[in-house]
Amino acid sequence: MSFDASAGRAPTPVYLRLTDVVKTYDGRTNAVDGVSLDIRRGEFITFLGPSGSGKTTTLMMIAGFEALNGGSIELDGKDLARSRPYERNIGVVFQNYALFPHMTALRNIEFPLRMRHFPKSDIKKRAEQALALVGLSRFADRHPRELSGGQQQRVALARGLVFDPDLLLLDEPLGALDKNLREQMQVEIKRIHREIGITTIYVTHDQTEAMTMSDRVAVFSGGKLAQVAPPLEVYNRPANRFVGEFIGDSNFFEADVDPKRPGWVDIPAIGPVRVAEDHGRLPSQGTIDLLVRPERIKILTANDGDHMNALDMTIDALVHYGDSVLAIGTSRGRPLRMRVAGTPPAELKEGARLRVGWAPQDAHAVARS
Amino acid sequence: MPLLFAIIATAFLIAPLFIVVPMSFSTSTSFAFPPEGYWLGYYRAYFASEDWLIPTANSIVIAFCAMMVTMLLVIPAAFGFVRHRFAGKAAINLLFLLPLAVPHVVAALGYYGLLSRLGIVGTIFGLIIAETALSMPVSFLVVCAALKGYDRNLERAAMSAGAGPLRTFFWVTLPVLRPGILVAALFAFLQTFNESVVALFIGGRDASTLPKKMFESIRLETDPVIAVVSTLLTGIVVLAFVVPVLFRRKPAYVV
Amino acid sequence: MTATTITDTPRHRPLESRSAAAWLLLTPGSLFLILLFVVPIGYVLLLSFTEPKVSLDHFRRIFTTPLYTSVMINTFRTSLIVTLSCLLLGYPLAYVIARRNDAVSLIFLTLVGLSFWTGFLVRTYAWLVILGNRGPVAATFGVLGLEPPQLLFTSFSSTLGMVNILLPYMVFALLSVMKKIDPNHMRAAASLGAPPTAAFRTVFLPQSLPGVVNGSVLVFTVCLGFYVTPILLGTPRDMMISQLINQQIEELLAWGFAAALAVVLLAVTSFLMILYNRFVGLDRLWG
Repeated sequence: MSFDASAGRAPTPVYLRLTDVVKTYDGRTNAVDGVSLDIRRGEFITFLGPSGSGKTTTLMMIAGFEALNGGSIELDGKDLARSRPYERNIGVVFQNYALFPHMTALRNIEFPLRMRHFPKSDIKKRAEQALALVGLSRFADRHPRELSGGQQQRVALARGLVFDPDLLLLDEPLGALDKNLREQMQVEIKRIHREIGITTIYVTHDQTEAMTMSDRVAVFSGGKLAQVAPPLEVYNRPANRFVGEFIGDSNFFEADVDPKRPGWVDIPAIGPVRVAEDHGRLPSQGTIDLLVRPERIKILTANDGDHMNALDMTIDALVHYGDSVLAIGTSRGRPLRMRVAGTPPAELKEGARLRVGWAPQDAHAVARS
Repeated sequence: MPLLFAIIATAFLIAPLFIVVPMSFSTSTSFAFPPEGYWLGYYRAYFASEDWLIPTANSIVIAFCAMMVTMLLVIPAAFGFVRHRFAGKAAINLLFLLPLAVPHVVAALGYYGLLSRLGIVGTIFGLIIAETALSMPVSFLVVCAALKGYDRNLERAAMSAGAGPLRTFFWVTLPVLRPGILVAALFAFLQTFNESVVALFIGGRDASTLPKKMFESIRLETDPVIAVVSTLLTGIVVLAFVVPVLFRRKPAYVV
Repeated sequence: MTATTITDTPRHRPLESRSAAAWLLLTPGSLFLILLFVVPIGYVLLLSFTEPKVSLDHFRRIFTTPLYTSVMINTFRTSLIVTLSCLLLGYPLAYVIARRNDAVSLIFLTLVGLSFWTGFLVRTYAWLVILGNRGPVAATFGVLGLEPPQLLFTSFSSTLGMVNILLPYMVFALLSVMKKIDPNHMRAAASLGAPPTAAFRTVFLPQSLPGVVNGSVLVFTVCLGFYVTPILLGTPRDMMISQLINQQIEELLAWGFAAALAVVLLAVTSFLMILYNRFVGLDRLWG
């Protein structure tokens, strides 16, 4: 193939480069199926996807725990294929922490330094610094079983960082923690990333984590990359229907492009609606998926002009979140979801029939795959 | 109701162990209970009698050696068995569990035949070989169970921390598996120490073990020293098992 | 999937194990067991139809002589009685240990372990004292002015001794299954209106049945070939197969016939094990 690997990639200097990475376990189906990705130095990138989408396998290949069946991984211009995991300089934090049960927190953190033959005086200083960085100086002599889940996670983080690795890999590190602790650790991990500036790859199936923490999100689906973009772009302009449905709440309408009326598409049973052309990469004809986020739909009043796309919605159920209300209903037999922020207006009741709508620029057209 | 049954069953289980203690202090020369009088004479007799001390020493030596050989064979085998996929896995599993499924009388007959051909019947060496085979299954099961419960991310963590295969094994894998390995070794030792059938068949005169000596002593019903030996053995088991439980001194990272 | 994407070039050294490494690790143990366990067993097999001459006479004798067939029947009957007794005594004990997670269950467990780890011979000796004609049982009869019955050296004393020795095996087999039964199942049954006995019968008992099967198979097969206790506590009039083997060797030096008896014993236990393996899986047996 005469395909130029650099074509169409980001112009910024590449630190970690994945090129057509393939992994198969049974020789027939590919768990990772041709993933190519460039990661910049200092970037915080999240691998997001459902279980079995290949995100963890990709991470394990970067760490060196799984061999590639095709493609290559380069770190700072050097091919990693020949180096064993312990020859790479990559810190890994595992989902279940993987702290050594027979060593104290401090010994766990010193372990990579001793294995890498850091000078004796350096080892103690660095380990203590790392413990201080995660705020656990008082717990240096505790064994993992004597620490809470959150504390264990901090020790694992310190252990993964203490030897100044080139990369930090986190494999669903907060999966075992409860919600409040998870948010606290998200903030903590972001703070540490800011302080150290280490290139970080974060694997998760939790879209909130991906949205709040990352510089960019790489969405995995079926062993392939569905989209790689900053969080807001992934949310507002998903590359395909899978990404749009996986991240956030969504309304998808199947719609036909009318070649004779630019700026309009036709949703069967609902009718023609306007779309802003600069937002949607509309093909000149055929069928597209039209995404409208529930929070973009609002109850129309007399003041709303006729530039809004309007339809009638029957409210079947209301879900109160405290800060907002999700209305679940139908419009001409098609399911429709609308999220209203703040105190819900009086007319929003179960069984009510309301005139709702959205502005053309709030819809996003996705080519059918 | 179940509690009552449980108490009856437990009483039935441990009553024999309580009987042997007063018997060991009995002045009687036969198996009379309750004893007519008490003294320490048979304890003195045990510690002065080569007829008892040599089998005791033999049992300890044989059990220790069989334990060591068992562990040397079983630990690598368990790693190979748990961590790898290969053709014939079921057959290997069967082979390693076989000594549990074969009645010891059958094995004892076979050992008598084979070891006498090799000229090592009635030797400590011959007994070590036979007892090793018999103690392998349980140790194999215990080490396999420990390995299956072992989180392989620990090894990955060690590798990403810069430890090569050897250092990962000796610094992380082995220490984490240590409780399981110790239990397996203890089982191997006790299995061999208590084994009587094979010892009876191939122990002969020169490699008599404690169970063999006890068997003969019970059969002849003449030697009250057996009560002393029984008491000492029970005492050792109490020290080894009951005391740690009472003080809850388990290795703390094995839950 | 296109096959062209899978290019397993040698530069990608896999971390996963190769079966060559497996065999390297398994060979010493396997070789040991084949040479020093399978071969001796094979030798018994060989002996059974070649000693003193090549023939199947021994087997013919075993299955046609009334004395020997009655030994077979007695072995089965005794093993069945021992198994059922162990189940009867062991089930409530295991139930209590599994269901109460407190000091009481720990004490029971410790005592069962204490019994388990004390060798067969210590306990066999103790029964000799307890059941002997100068022992506590006989003394009790004497106090009541009754003639003490002959307890020792009967099939009763032999059975009692074996139940005592095999009961811990049964308890451990039951326990390993009962421990895995979710205590919430019993709570759920209670909340759904089942009184304790009904909850036990419909929820706990069915889930504990695998343990009952494991324990019974284990105790029954060990019992079939039990050697020490029947010889020391039993009677030559109601022999079990191991006693017969012992007699053939010690008194008659009939190695060929003893080997044939051993082969029959081995065949029966193997048949049970194969049956068990077919339906449950052999590696479950020792939990």
